[in-house]
Amino acid sequence: MLNALRQRFNIPPRNEWRSWIGKMIDERVRIITAGLSIKELRAVVRGDPPTEKPNPRYKVITTSFIAHLRPRYYPAASTWFTHTFRLGWFTTFFFIVETLTGVILMVYYIPFPDQAYGSILEIESNVFFGELMRDAHRLGAEGMVIFSWLHLLRTYFTGSYKGPRTFTWLTGVLLLLITAWLSFTGYLLPWDQLAYWAVTVGTSITDSGPVVGPALNILMRGAPDIGTGGLLRFYLQHVILFPLIAILFISIHYYKVAREHSISLPAVIEETEITQEEKKEANRRIDLIPDLLSHEIFLISIGTFALLAILYFRLFNSPLETHANPQATPLDTKAPWYFWWLQGMLKIDPASIIENLVNPLFEMVGISFRLELSKLLNSKFIMGLVVPPGLVLLLMAIPYIDRNPSRLARNRPFAIAWGLAWVFIVIALSYMGTPQYGIETPPATRIIQDLAPEEGEGPLRLIPYAELQQGIYVVGEDYGDDLCPGLAYQPNPEEDVNNVVIGCPHLTAVFEQFSERLLEAEAEGGLPDLNARLIVEQLQANMFRVTPHVEWSDPITGDAKAYEHTYYLHEDRAREE
Amino acid sequence: MKRVQLEIILGTVFVLLSAAIMIVLGIREPQRLADYEVQQRAEEIEFGASVFVTNCTRCHGTQAQGITGIAPSLRDNHFFTQRIAEVGWGAGLEDYIVSVVTTGRQVSTRPQLYVGGGTPAMPTWSEKFGGPLRDDQIRAVAAFIMNFEPYALGQVPTVEPLLPVVDESTPEGRGQVVFLQAGCNACHTISGLSTGTIGPVLDGVGLRAATRVEGLTAEEYIHQSIIEPSAYVVEGYADGLMPQTFAETLTEEQIADLIAFLLTLQ
Ligand code: HEC
Ligand code: HEC
Ligand code: HEM
Repeated sequence: MLNALRQRFNIPPRNEWRSWIGKMIDERVRIITAGLSIKELRAVVRGDPPTEKPNPRYKVITTSFIAHLRPRYYPAASTWFTHTFRLGWFTTFFFIVETLTGVILMVYYIPFPDQAYGSILEIESNVFFGELMRDAHRLGAEGMVIFSWLHLLRTYFTGSYKGPRTFTWLTGVLLLLITAWLSFTGYLLPWDQLAYWAVTVGTSITDSGPVVGPALNILMRGAPDIGTGGLLRFYLQHVILFPLIAILFISIHYYKVAREHSISLPAVIEETEITQEEKKEANRRIDLIPDLLSHEIFLISIGTFALLAILYFRLFNSPLETHANPQATPLDTKAPWYFWWLQGMLKIDPASIIENLVNPLFEMVGISFRLELSKLLNSKFIMGLVVPPGLVLLLMAIPYIDRNPSRLARNRPFAIAWGLAWVFIVIALSYMGTPQYGIETPPATRIIQDLAPEEGEGPLRLIPYAELQQGIYVVGEDYGDDLCPGLAYQPNPEEDVNNVVIGCPHLTAVFEQFSERLLEAEAEGGLPDLNARLIVEQLQANMFRVTPHVEWSDPITGDAKAYEHTYYLHEDRAREE
Repeated sequence: MKRVQLEIILGTVFVLLSAAIMIVLGIREPQRLADYEVQQRAEEIEFGASVFVTNCTRCHGTQAQGITGIAPSLRDNHFFTQRIAEVGWGAGLEDYIVSVVTTGRQVSTRPQLYVGGGTPAMPTWSEKFGGPLRDDQIRAVAAFIMNFEPYALGQVPTVEPLLPVVDESTPEGRGQVVFLQAGCNACHTISGLSTGTIGPVLDGVGLRAATRVEGLTAEEYIHQSIIEPSAYVVEGYADGLMPQTFAETLTEEQIADLIAFLLTLQ
């Protein structure tokens, strides 16, 4: 009976068991590692040379699916840190961070307008590590955008788009667009004022297009205004369609680099006279297993730590404004900062610039003809729908426009200058795109907004609750040094009993800022017949209502005008300074 | 030291630091969640206050204190302690508020006391039934009303509401105060002061009062409008909407101040 079993399973005699079991385990390990024996694994981890011939570490790359996406080796010089700065690598890292945190967020997020905002609040207030996941996802998104731009600049300045890498560059430009679109579609999902209006303004660009413009707008929004349909469309694009497209293009992009043309050698190695020795060292193989991999594990540990440290020290916090309200356009609609350049461009009106240049010339020469381009050219259409796609095409065409074969910076002064010029143009446009730039707000509105923006903190909201004292404080009246001399409180009695604040310094400072700026505006003639006050009322046992109120007469028509905004300040609302 | 060794050491340090951060965050997480919830409730109440002020004050008064004849107080002891038993509501008060506000009130349950806007007494507020408010706004306004509890139960002394700055040494100034205190603002719009819509706009009433009823001066007409509204009903408005009780609730002096104030609205 036992003998039959022994034969059935090929079990050797007892004295051979040790080597027999060892062999069996080794076989399994080889299958799992796609070619490495236990001994070999040990050598890999210890950094010893391969134990067998042919090198089993290369075998892994042909047999394993995951590993076959990776290079066998890179030449030493192309792994110099100062050559790549690991920018493309970190872009991929952020993409993976986004995928992992995104899948977790998907478990809790509900893509319907009446529940979306609530589900975000739920994530923040009722899911263990929910805020961490949301912050990491948002930070990772910004990281991916930043790093793909930096990576683009790096490949541009090292001239890596030339020669065999033109197609890699092209897929890279597509990846830049995909990254931008992923972040834009994700921006809508929290369904707060920020999200709703940034995306409404963003999609409205297509509206100015001829014929298909409005249709395209409807296609994106699902209806004339973004609603249930629009949110679902953005959601599905964000969690399914574009992640899949991104994976596809990252794979193509990376496969080119890893398996076809490798990372470019630094131009100094390829194009300058160097010794044979240096050349040999530059081309020394850095194998995937173990050197590239161990380095990547190191990079992962840096990246993870950096992300967590930023979140731990609260250097980054995902914004969440009030619930989206299609009826109330906020004063400043904010696109994410990496789209400010586009927003800045939309503030340019090319037709009137040309008119202003050309018409004075006509006048000088005495021709009565006046160019009226504004009637023909819709600036939103030009700056929103013609110029940006034009720029993308230009970016794609760079390898074909730049026919200079050298990649050495000193041989391509024009390309370098051109690249730097664009960096400055984008920065300048971004500056113009900041929400405040070039947008005139009436002084009373601006002053109250600066005191207490519609969304977020501002000095008024930071007044400690204990300092709020009911009263009507009239601008121009003299209240002495402090508005409430009869008030005293302990800011944090648990930590420091002896710390007592007398009066209401914060409330007084806010009132002073309010008064000073208003009186200044009055003196400049913007607010004649100024009559303003700050009203502080106790509405509930633990909540005050604060209303800055301004009346004036219109400087031109003389009509009576008034502006006020009401704020509610609850005791439990955190006031972080 | 070889580069790879340095990387191994640094990498280990970073992994340990990352783990430490996660542990610290994990220990703090329950507290953070609790804090966030408190904060969230505070924000909801603030938001509810703004919803209340834009939608509800014209019937329930600027501080939810109610307006005689129109709509009940939402901050008194009765509302907080007896109301749900009175109407036979099974669940809590906050749910009651959400439910009433969502659907509105076709007819008042106390028509002799509170007529509201007639029919419906209180309109439907939920977006789902054609009203203007989303669910989260309704929940927020309920949170705001619930926050009157310490006042309603007398746990905290109520603070007298503030009144706009006016010169109280003149009858016109005092009249403006009476206008707000008596709740006239709930039904009448005066630019810059009030936004009620149930009764006529009172801008310019000082001018037209003289021409309303033959034989009555402007002063006499306004006096009559206040103490005896049905004597002359402005065209387009139903008789009986304006409370008939001001003759009793206001003193002669207050009415005189009111008239002086209304006459300034030329
Ligand atoms: C057109 C006038 C009107 C407006 C505006 C109005 N209400 Fe009412 N409200 C009433 C009337 C009338 C009642 C019914 C009283 C009754 O049935 O006895 C009522 C009842 C209520 C009740 C139930 C009170 C009770 O004691 O049963 C609540 C809660 C309430 N309103 C909240 C609100 C809120 C919140 C708003 C603003 C979104 C609002 N109301 C706006 C007229 C109004
Ligand atoms: C419940 C709503 C309501 C309240 C509260 C109310 N009114 Fe009226 N008021 C009306 C309506 C409706 C009319 C028009 C019908 C009428 O003339 O009776 C009116 C008419 C008037 C008119 C005549 C306007 C004109 O153009 O001829 C005056 C004056 C007036 N009210 C003053 C007051 C004053 C002062 C108070 C406060 C003491 C007050 N009302 C409170 C509803 C109200
Ligand atoms: C989602 C965005 C992107 C990802 C994940 C990505 C990933 C990578 C990776 C991992 C490499 C290997 C070299 C390195 O780490 O630097 C690489 C190389 C390269 N990438 Fe990208 N990339 C992205 C976007 C772009 C963009 C926007 C461009 C430019 C338009 C670009 C152009 C290139 C080029 C030309 C190379 C070859 C570099 C060389 O050989 O020196 N990539 N990319």
